[in-house]
Amino acid sequence: MVNFTVDEIRVLMGKPTNVRNMSVIAHVDHGKSTLTDSLLAKAGIISAGKAGDARATDTRADEQERGITIKSTAISLYGTLPDEDDLKDIVGQKSNGKDFLINLIDSPGHVDFSSEVTAALRVTDGALVVVDTVEGVCVQTETVLRQALGERIKPVIIINKVDRALLELQVSKEDLYQSFSRTIESVNVVISTYLDATIGDIQVYPEKGTVAFGSGLHGWAFTIRQFAIRYAKKFGVDRNKMMDRLWGDNYFNPKTKKWTKTGTHEGQQLERAFNMFILDPIFKIFAAVMNFKKDEVTSLLEKLNLKLTPEDREKEGKQLLKAVMRTFLPAADCLLEMMILHLPSPVTAQRYRVETLYEGPLDDEAAIAIRDCDPKGPLMLYVSKMVPTVDKGRFFAFGRVFAGTVRSGLKVRIQGPNYTPGKKEDLFIKAVQRTVLMMGGKVEPIEDVPSGNIVGLVGIDQFLLKSGTLTTSDTAHNLKVMKFSVSPVVQRSVKVKNAQDLPKLVEGLKRLSKSDPCVLVLTNDSGEHVVAGAGELHLEICLNDLENDHAGVPLIISDPVVQYRETVGAKSSITALSKSPNKHNRLYMIAEPLDEELAKAIEGGKIGPRDDIKTRARLMADEFGWDVTDARKIWAFGPDTNGANLLVDQTKAVQYLSEIKDSVVSGFQWATREGPIGEEPMRSVRFNIMDVTLHADAIHRGGGQLIPTARRVLYAATLLAEPALLEPVFLVEIQVPESAMGGVYGVLTRRRGHVFGEEQRPGTPLFTIKAYLPIMESFGFNADLRQGTGGQAFPQSVFDHWQLLPGGDPLDPTSKVGQVVLEMRKRKGLKTEVPGVDNYYDKL
Amino acid sequence: MLYLVGLGLSDETDITIKGLEVVKKASRVYLEAYTSILLVDQTVLETYYGRSITVADREMVESNSDEILRDAANVDVAFLVVGDPFGATTHTDLVLRARALGVPVRSVPNASIMSGIGAAGLQLYNFGQTVSMVFFTDSWRPASFYDRIKENRSIGLHTLVLLDIKVKEQSMENLARGRRIYEPPRYMSVGTCAQQMLEIEEQKGEGVYGPDSLAIGAARVGGKTEKFVAGTLRELCDADEELGPPLHSLVLLGRRTHELEHDYVREFAVNKETWDRIWKADYEG
Repeated sequence: MVNFTVDEIRVLMGKPTNVRNMSVIAHVDHGKSTLTDSLLAKAGIISAGKAGDARATDTRADEQERGITIKSTAISLYGTLPDEDDLKDIVGQKSNGKDFLINLIDSPGHVDFSSEVTAALRVTDGALVVVDTVEGVCVQTETVLRQALGERIKPVIIINKVDRALLELQVSKEDLYQSFSRTIESVNVVISTYLDATIGDIQVYPEKGTVAFGSGLHGWAFTIRQFAIRYAKKFGVDRNKMMDRLWGDNYFNPKTKKWTKTGTHEGQQLERAFNMFILDPIFKIFAAVMNFKKDEVTSLLEKLNLKLTPEDREKEGKQLLKAVMRTFLPAADCLLEMMILHLPSPVTAQRYRVETLYEGPLDDEAAIAIRDCDPKGPLMLYVSKMVPTVDKGRFFAFGRVFAGTVRSGLKVRIQGPNYTPGKKEDLFIKAVQRTVLMMGGKVEPIEDVPSGNIVGLVGIDQFLLKSGTLTTSDTAHNLKVMKFSVSPVVQRSVKVKNAQDLPKLVEGLKRLSKSDPCVLVLTNDSGEHVVAGAGELHLEICLNDLENDHAGVPLIISDPVVQYRETVGAKSSITALSKSPNKHNRLYMIAEPLDEELAKAIEGGKIGPRDDIKTRARLMADEFGWDVTDARKIWAFGPDTNGANLLVDQTKAVQYLSEIKDSVVSGFQWATREGPIGEEPMRSVRFNIMDVTLHADAIHRGGGQLIPTARRVLYAATLLAEPALLEPVFLVEIQVPESAMGGVYGVLTRRRGHVFGEEQRPGTPLFTIKAYLPIMESFGFNADLRQGTGGQAFPQSVFDHWQLLPGGDPLDPTSKVGQVVLEMRKRKGLKTEVPGVDNYYDKL
Repeated sequence: MLYLVGLGLSDETDITIKGLEVVKKASRVYLEAYTSILLVDQTVLETYYGRSITVADREMVESNSDEILRDAANVDVAFLVVGDPFGATTHTDLVLRARALGVPVRSVPNASIMSGIGAAGLQLYNFGQTVSMVFFTDSWRPASFYDRIKENRSIGLHTLVLLDIKVKEQSMENLARGRRIYEPPRYMSVGTCAQQMLEIEEQKGEGVYGPDSLAIGAARVGGKTEKFVAGTLRELCDADEELGPPLHSLVLLGRRTHELEHDYVREFAVNKETWDRIWKADYEG
């Protein structure tokens, strides 16, 4: 039975100092969902016996079948500290009683679903990072950590699957210590790389209790604190002092009965305190149980003061081990304690998160209410994703209340991502129909939800595409739009098998787009429907959902293709000129390549259209070598107002230039969305407006005259600047035993892969190979790899960067790149040859 | 030969005899229908001219002039323009393109709003630069006309304000997406123009004119239902009903006035007392 009620939860929601919002994040298969199970078992949501096998937060059938998490799932738990005394160990923040509300989100670990992680991180303040003992920090561990730090999320970690190290690898105590220590170090390296000074030191330290060790599968885990409490009594020292001693180079000399920092005594090696006091009892239990030494087990249990149920006592081998370890070091207690003690409450977190969360000025009423986590302030709620309801085609809007209180019937302003204060675009004013509490696959109705908590809303889905801001303040700006670490670079087109199903497909595509934060659904002018996702797996899941659920009609799905980007390789050879249709207005422009680092900074959200102009100009001058005056005259980012192409005004004293700015920017958005080579988006191009001549009268220089002209001159400038195509490239990380490495190299070479890293996991026969692989070449890569290595290699691919597509001039149809362009244009139903510069360039 | 034929201001009978002869004998006849419109339908024109004509929209004139100029070196093509062919700057480009193709050009002048506005009773000698007023949008509120009016006013000249007409325009969004979907026609009224002028004055605050500045609203100049309404800009904000259907124009008075102008325009005043009072205070001498 669930051991708490919605009413109890509601009471705790009102005490935000006792709320912890946290995500569970990790590399795929490092055991997030399994660990989450033990927390659910503790809360009575699943039975203790099932914990570790149920993966209760994997609510979809395909998640259970494939054994991976696809969607992030939220669940609220009730946690209690065992002792009032424990409250003292909550450092740097207040609390109110020893009962706590934990809002937990289990997220997918497969890179293809990283956008789900982003959406989860946005609504939480802390993260439990799960790392596999054997595999260590992997590519996705790093990615999610980086994302977490970007959102100012404080991490704690658990080193999981310790049982594997003991049972399969049979390592010694010191080796295990060293392996732990290495893993923690690599986590801290990532943390310090992306450190943000505002939230202070958030590296993790076992001696501070921010690192746990355990086994999700067996349901046990510990932090040093738990052992410190045990031994503090025994040695009669303060438990915090004890914690310091139980990690690192601290030794207890049994002969002198003294603590020391040196590892030797009279030439003899001393045993490290961690090994002696923590690992030793665990190793002993493992040895006794696995070697079926019943007597030893009984005496150990007595020593540790543990009582097993009669049922458990009958068990043998791994089952007994599980029962003993679970009684000795219950995972849920350890994890709950770690989260409560070390993760920030919303009150603490929102104080430093407000800067990165809010787009508006930090002294307006909305910002102040967020900073203070004020339940009586104006409502500020961020909807981070849409969760399908049982009612087909409808969605819960899932999000976090950062300020104010949301309740059924409340009239709110629904501000989409393109909303700008003072305007009416992307804005609806509607009432919230119902508020609900998200409990894994189920929901519970709840009357209202105050600031600092996570909530589901009914009746918002029609007005928001994927995410957005809900507020009651007329002046509130948006909460910042999420930046995803993955982009929808792989696409497939879909058609219906039976023509009469078309309306269902169109409706289904709409629903699909809503249900996934990252998927992109496009309809070409030729009527072709395209679905784009982060990778093959992501796309497969999306299309499966589309066919079986959202549309529910049989579909014909094309082979996957990649999206390209159009760019330039040099500065325009001459200044491009285009005249408006009435010939009274002339635009002069030059295109040139943008620095790759800058393009990445824009894509990473480090530099964007909404930054303060002066600060941005300073940053661009300091880090990217821009001229400050140029940087202050950036008119626009494009496409979609935030892409990595820039439009820069370099004109001198042109009268009424500001009156055509909007039109030129519109033309720029249009041109960068559909470039001149094959109507693919442009990337990494800087356009300089060199000069402009205008008709004296406004009526002769309206949008109708200038938008098409801006587009034409941008195209001309591009075609004059050595146009080229960029292809997307995966970073592939492959774990493989040495014996099968040859096969990996073979497969990579055939597919234009480029290996740049090869490293052995210390203490294991496993190698980690890192390579760049053009996504175009990656279709069927996994199957190929399986075949080439006898199924021994495990790849993870994540989009990494764009690279120049080699093989000649895209404008020359006989070159390799030209062929790609030709195919692309055919597919899109465009004229096969690329229109030349003469179509856009007007002679003086 | 390319003939640019002015059609005058109002209806089918405003064409000149010379113009009509050109129209009758030309092999192709185009009617330019986006810088201004006649107050009668195309069919009425066709019946009167006794032949069919092709309507040329902005798209065709600006981006597809080859069709208009096709073979014009050998046959006669008439290009009909409401008002006077060179009343606006728009058609100089067509002439340039014709020249480039070696097509001879001749034009048949006619009345234009530039001269027709004389019927409002102000001396044409005392007009300064003409300006246009476009429909403001949320993000596009061009104010350059203000500086022109300032120049005119600084030496006491009247300003003729031509009002935006959108016969077949794409919305901003459709333009940016390259879709050829057109909005329903819209014609600016004197009321809208006066409001927009006052908005810009409020924003700029240079006192070039104000709510109490005198102006004349003109409707359907040169037609049978021609109408003038004189008053302050504030009064003209609400004069649309009195002025009636499009097309409208507006004249902002300059300080350099003549008694005859006063006597003539006074008849159009919304409120004669206000008119007299303000004239006396600000415009006399």
